[in-house]
Amino acid sequence: MLHNRRKHVAIAISLVAPFVLTFSLVFLWPAIRVVELSFTSGPLIGAGEWVGLENYRRLLSDNLFYTSLKNNGYFILLTVVPTTALALAIALMINRLSGRLQAAMLALFFLPYILPVSVVTMIWTWMLDFQFGILQPVFTFFTGKPVPVFKNPYWVMPMIAVVTIWWTNGFNVLLFIAGLRNIPQELYEAAALDGATGRQQFLRLTWPLLWPVTALVLTLQLILQLKIFDQVYLMSGGGPFNSSYVLLLMVYREAFQLNHGGYASAVALVLFVIIMAVSVLQFQILKIGGRR
Amino acid sequence: MRLLKTILAASVASFVALPAFAQQQVTWWDFLAGGDGVRMKALIERFNEEHPDIQISGTTLEWGVPYYTKVRTSVAVGQGPDVMTYHLSRMPLGLSEDVLSEITDEDLKVAGLSRDDFFTRALEAASGEDGKLYAIPFDIHSIILYYNKSYFEGSEFLDEEGNLTGIDSLEAFERALAHAKDEGSTAPVSYATGDDGGVYRVFFTLLKQQGGDLIKDGEVLPGDSLDKAAKAIEIMTRWTENGWQPEQAEYEASVALFTSGKAAFHMNGVWEVPTMVDMADKGTLGFEWGAVQIPKLMEQQATWADSHAFAIPAQDMAPEKREAVLKVIGWMEKNGIEWAGAGHIPAYKPVAESPEFAEMEPNATYSKLAETAAYDPRSQIAGVASPVYDAAINVISPAIHGYLEPMQAAEQIKTELQSKLR
Repeated sequence: MLHNRRKHVAIAISLVAPFVLTFSLVFLWPAIRVVELSFTSGPLIGAGEWVGLENYRRLLSDNLFYTSLKNNGYFILLTVVPTTALALAIALMINRLSGRLQAAMLALFFLPYILPVSVVTMIWTWMLDFQFGILQPVFTFFTGKPVPVFKNPYWVMPMIAVVTIWWTNGFNVLLFIAGLRNIPQELYEAAALDGATGRQQFLRLTWPLLWPVTALVLTLQLILQLKIFDQVYLMSGGGPFNSSYVLLLMVYREAFQLNHGGYASAVALVLFVIIMAVSVLQFQILKIGGRR
Repeated sequence: MRLLKTILAASVASFVALPAFAQQQVTWWDFLAGGDGVRMKALIERFNEEHPDIQISGTTLEWGVPYYTKVRTSVAVGQGPDVMTYHLSRMPLGLSEDVLSEITDEDLKVAGLSRDDFFTRALEAASGEDGKLYAIPFDIHSIILYYNKSYFEGSEFLDEEGNLTGIDSLEAFERALAHAKDEGSTAPVSYATGDDGGVYRVFFTLLKQQGGDLIKDGEVLPGDSLDKAAKAIEIMTRWTENGWQPEQAEYEASVALFTSGKAAFHMNGVWEVPTMVDMADKGTLGFEWGAVQIPKLMEQQATWADSHAFAIPAQDMAPEKREAVLKVIGWMEKNGIEWAGAGHIPAYKPVAESPEFAEMEPNATYSKLAETAAYDPRSQIAGVASPVYDAAINVISPAIHGYLEPMQAAEQIKTELQSKLR
């Protein structure tokens, strides 16, 4: 028996090893290095001096850090719940369709998601261009004059949020559709027999049974939107007046533009801790909400 | 069978003989797109034709932060190019990152060049604090003032030969702008008001013309430079208020406003000269144009300027390869007249002082700006695609569109940039 167990262990190890090795090499090791780097004054590449907590001390007195933090928070408010609600609404509507039409609608909503971020931002920058953008007449209709959306401190974040939701929503719709298909049809039949209205069916059946998927989408979105970078970098560059400056942009600028590897690592680590804490917290709260 | 043997023997012989005319492959990186890029590619092609022993394989990468990031990371792991173009305004950062290898006098000799061949300002900008050379300057480029003659015909601003005249102060310039507006120009002076480069270069020129300093001895906008910066922003704001400059114009839009005849003046780099020349040749421009150096609007003559240069990454390189690279650089410098066709002023004096260049228009008209060229401050946070450029798009551009008072904007630049200089 003992001999057999050893054999089992050996097989287990040989099966797990490729993953563990790859994981250690391309994730764990760099992660450890980032922690190490955040305690030094090192450049992007190469060794630096050990400075202890100096980078973190500096971070806490850096106004840009608080501005970025605030903007990250604002962006989450603008995206996480709206995108989830919108995806749910779209999923419910698509779910009522059937056959080819359903597939076509699903494809239509999913299409933006497969585009690379550079293409997405370019499409929107063209459409919103102050001088020649085709959406400017719409703004003119509502506000009386064209709006330089990415150059206006009040418009920039909401506009980036709109683009982000447009771009990523297809995936959430897909998750909701999967969730909806998992609800047994008999439940609706039974509810209909008992005389439940459509509203009641949604509130008592669909919504509670869909809650795990909703919680998942909300958490995924929270993590994703905390990592906002590409859209900001490509559309507004963090401006104007830092009103769209976010934490990852700060990491990028410090590391690649200014060659401050140590400080950038400190910012990145703080962001990592924030994402961990917030997402775990949110998921727990949502689980409690779901059990009720 | 005999035939096969012969073929075999012949191919073996050719393999053995190959090292005798071993070809040097030179990997070349640049960030030159548009009219610049076309001319550089033509130069590379000509070099390859003339030199069977050295072949350049060029790659054009994304201008700005992506370029310098790629250079930085690739050189660190020894995968950099053999030769690359470099902005002299980016030298301080490059030196602090140790990505540039020193160009010795010995190297210059191999390239067939010497220090005396170059303009002093460019040479200084290409040297480190230690006085050693880290790049070979190729050109001096700056912003210039393009003008559309049709708006000024019969006015005090055009002389008998049809050249711009009489703009010797800010008042005169603004009078010309008002005149152009009366003549129907919708954007009398177009520059990229919604773009970091466009805004920064005009701002820096106005600051320098007042004798101000952006960064000096580690201090951002020291002393009365703060007031001068505010003054520069104030002027640019006034141009918006009077409807003289386009609102939130991206780079391409600012050029289009001029080439479509809507703008009387256009402030942009010399690199747009080919655009105008080509359009005029094709007959699609629709008006007579000219270009002069940015006039003295404030107290003294000065223009924002930078240089493209050739640099060799600091990584292991075989001596034969380095020799080939230096030959490439030397050849490029000596054939710089073609590069001048892209609007630039050659940094290599024998070309800049040649009769061919003296005849080249409009380059010859503005080439004297090389003497009063104002390079970006020598700082790790200045130069193309630097925090200074970010400040231009983040603070100055919104300010000139009325989102912030000029003085507040100047103060914000000061605090923001100062915090980056630790």
